[in-house]
Amino acid sequence: MSGAAATRRRRNVKELFVGLGFLLPSLFGFLLFFAYPTVRGLFISFTDWDLLTPAKFIGIDNYTALFADSAYWNSLWVTVQYVFWNIPAQTVLALAIAMMMNKLTKTGFLKGAFLIPWLIPNVIVAMLWLWLLDPSVGYLDEVVKAMGLPPLGFLANADTAMPLVAWINIWKWMGYNALILYAGLQGIPKEINEAAVIDGANGWKEFTKITLPMLRPVLAFILVTTIIGSFQIYDTVAIATRGGPVDATWVMNFYLFKYAFQEYHMGYATAGSMVLFALLFVVGLVQMRMMRAGEAD
Amino acid sequence: MIRTCIAKLSLAASLLLLATGLMADPVTIKYILWDSAQQPAYQAVADAFHKANPNITIEIGQLGWNDYWTGLQTGLVSGEAPDVFTDHLAMVNDFASKGQLVDLTPYVTKDKVDTTKYLNGLGDLWTKNGKRWGLPKDWDTIAIVYNKDMLKEVGYTEADANNLKWNPTDGGTFEKFIAKLSVDKNGKNGLDPAFDAKNVVRYGLALDHSDDRGQAQWSPFAVSNGWMYTSGTFKADYKYDDPKFIAAIDWMVKVSKKGWLADYASTQNGPAAVFAAKKSAAIFEGSWMIGYYSTSVGFPVGFARLPAGPVGVKSMINGLADSITTSSKHKDEAWQWVKFLGSEEAQKIVGTFGVVFPAYQAGVNNALAAYKAKGVNVSAYTDESLTKGETFLYPVVDNGVKTQEILKKAFDAVFTYKATPKEAFTAANKQVLALFK
Amino acid sequence: MGKKAADRHPILWLGAIVLLFLTLFPFAWVVRTSVTPHDQIFSAPGALWPAEATWTNYGRVLGLITGADAVKLGGSGQKIEFVRALCNSIIVCTVITAVQTLACAMAAYAFARLRFWGRNGLFLIYLSALMVPGIVMIIPNFILVKEAGLLNTFLGIMAPTLLMTPFAVFFLRQFFLSINKELEEAAFLDGAGKVRTFVQLILPISQTALATLALSTFIAGWNDYLWPLLVGKDPDVRLLNVAMGIFRSQTPQGVPDWGGLMAGTLISIVPLIILFALFGKKIVNSISFSGFR
Repeated sequence: MSGAAATRRRRNVKELFVGLGFLLPSLFGFLLFFAYPTVRGLFISFTDWDLLTPAKFIGIDNYTALFADSAYWNSLWVTVQYVFWNIPAQTVLALAIAMMMNKLTKTGFLKGAFLIPWLIPNVIVAMLWLWLLDPSVGYLDEVVKAMGLPPLGFLANADTAMPLVAWINIWKWMGYNALILYAGLQGIPKEINEAAVIDGANGWKEFTKITLPMLRPVLAFILVTTIIGSFQIYDTVAIATRGGPVDATWVMNFYLFKYAFQEYHMGYATAGSMVLFALLFVVGLVQMRMMRAGEAD
Repeated sequence: MIRTCIAKLSLAASLLLLATGLMADPVTIKYILWDSAQQPAYQAVADAFHKANPNITIEIGQLGWNDYWTGLQTGLVSGEAPDVFTDHLAMVNDFASKGQLVDLTPYVTKDKVDTTKYLNGLGDLWTKNGKRWGLPKDWDTIAIVYNKDMLKEVGYTEADANNLKWNPTDGGTFEKFIAKLSVDKNGKNGLDPAFDAKNVVRYGLALDHSDDRGQAQWSPFAVSNGWMYTSGTFKADYKYDDPKFIAAIDWMVKVSKKGWLADYASTQNGPAAVFAAKKSAAIFEGSWMIGYYSTSVGFPVGFARLPAGPVGVKSMINGLADSITTSSKHKDEAWQWVKFLGSEEAQKIVGTFGVVFPAYQAGVNNALAAYKAKGVNVSAYTDESLTKGETFLYPVVDNGVKTQEILKKAFDAVFTYKATPKEAFTAANKQVLALFK
Repeated sequence: MGKKAADRHPILWLGAIVLLFLTLFPFAWVVRTSVTPHDQIFSAPGALWPAEATWTNYGRVLGLITGADAVKLGGSGQKIEFVRALCNSIIVCTVITAVQTLACAMAAYAFARLRFWGRNGLFLIYLSALMVPGIVMIIPNFILVKEAGLLNTFLGIMAPTLLMTPFAVFFLRQFFLSINKELEEAAFLDGAGKVRTFVQLILPISQTALATLALSTFIAGWNDYLWPLLVGKDPDVRLLNVAMGIFRSQTPQGVPDWGGLMAGTLISIVPLIILFALFGKKIVNSISFSGFR
């Protein structure tokens, strides 16, 4: 008996070493570039530091200044707006494209074509659309003129800037998300479809009563990833609108980036990022809970 | 005899050592600038410098305006900043106050550099409290840039354009000028009562979005109305709530609403694109863009003096200089480069490229000749700088970045018609003054 | 059933055509702009094809024209060193992908199959890093890289994600958990240690999952903008995104060099399109794999 126990313990110890060996590279990366920065960030958020002169401890002054800054709250609001413009439209379009891929043609052409924007970096996508949407010489401006409409400001118009920024993002990602949904569609057993048709369900009913519910886990997965990602948008705004017009697209990351790398108020910026972290944590928890409900199917 | 032999040998040896010591280790000086159009000119200067100083090589880097200052900051923070960089009056104090710039006074004294030879008193601008942060290398003024064809089309001559008058009440001949040049969708010009301000296909005037300086936007109006930013170049008692300033902005808002001045949406990416697309007949622009407009827009372009307001023609004059960073590991060599850049010889070279007006008269002469050879008449710019009282300086004080931000927001609100000038600028001025408490 | 299926199609087809057009038209526009001479970009913005197509934009962007000539043609006096930036991006992304995939596979295997004290706790801690938004770590990471003297180096750019990302570990662990245990037990009976099992059994079996992860890691690196912008401004180490961003603001003040920008865009897209044409099917399968779990 004790012999077996001893062997197990020896194996456990051996596995500990082997385990450590397997873990070492990623552990090194994790500690150095995830754990340490997060903790250090917390400490920095209690200081006033511009990287050139020594850091000065100032307690929670950064946080109080943050909460008192209307620009901070505005950037939070702007970011939430972005999420609302981006997620529903993107999900609906991705779903529509997935259905097209499923019903129309099984060849790779559709899948490939819709996927191309995904391959292009955010920055280049933003530049592309910046050019198309130029308020004076962009092609879309010519189209609008040809239709006899008054010039639309596009990205220069405070009312249309944010929806357009969302569109740029949708344009890039809808094919990719569609493909994931398409795979999810493949997972729906054919018998259920056929049974529904026999029962007389037509296209729309079949879609809402069968397809959608069976897609819930995949949809949930897409929603979680896109929502958390949306809160962190930066590239498109940096290239296409630089936060403008005025502050219509001044998203959270843009606000933090300005204070960190243009004004070098490291403490203040890290405080802001800590608050964002707390916020995303809550959002993530809420989503996880809803996702678990979805898995019941 | 042996003694003389040894003496001669040792003399030769020490001379050799001295020579090799002078031919010191090769040093590379990193230099950055933001205007890509000027890079070929400065490369030529660097080549001339290298010929005269074979052990020093100049490496020129360029970052566009938007990335220039953040790139420099990152470099300073990481200890990898360039040795020398093109400095701007709006930023110099921010850097100096953080101890990032080398005071050039000892070098200037030692090498007996004459800082009074620069035009327009530019030499003094770069000093503060007895310290000198840079040697001037060029200057620029603002003028009206217009499309010659459009001018002819509506019946104006170039002489007309060069002698426009303005006032905040009815806009003078300048207002009529831009109104007549504006065209709406139905072909009516701005003076026609049926002009449709909501469907303008060509604006008489297009200006960039404004900030605290308004160099090529509102400053010609406000200052020619008798207003000044502060009571002195180095004073920080801003007066954006002054009635004369507000009157000028009121006029601008008025003509913007009338459809004669391009609205903020069209100029989102700058007025140059609007002008190049023939969607505006004229813009205000600085002399650093002369080269671009005279060659790259595909139609003939003319330059005219700014309109004369109640106190005359007023153009902002600005000048760049080069500063040395304290993190430079080769300060002496960096000084050699800065000294050369600020010298008549270098500026004569720069002048021949016809991209900028150097700070030395001889350089300006070369530039004028270069422009003449290209068939471009730039007298609008040079007349302003030569005529007494037609140029003014922007205040050189601290908090440049923050002031700019505050005023930008105020102008954005005003020109998107979300706030009246009086409201916006009274509030903005308070915020600016609070920065200096 | 055939008739009912045909009824549904017209609407879907219409929608597909519209969306396809919206997706692909911008690329056509990129091509059109890249061959348009500078003055015609502004004088004929609605033209579907320029009156005189030209290659000068490409020449300017690739540095084949001298600086002074480039300025005359309306561009910046800069060549953007696209080829170098493109190579930099390929190098950096490939290295990150290779190293990260391997390191995370090792970690995932440890979490999935090895038993040691604190295993689950450590895994949860790894997972919690998923919650932390990027910006939180950018600032301290920047300071860390600066203090290590790695600013403006490839290593500095690669550092934060070179060895692990929480997603990678999570993803692979899920997959490893689903591998049939009997295979490993058979290997163990054959006398293979954990390391040999890993290398000779697990890795080959997991090819699809590893390929999926590698693809997603590569694209993530390819997309990255903020971090390489901060850490790699030097022309030697500039990545493609950073180079494009800098090029955009480099032109004579006020007028973006759209022709040059679009030429640069096309050059940077072409390698991807080629890769896609060659490996398209595999890529599509990889992505479907990640959705269908």
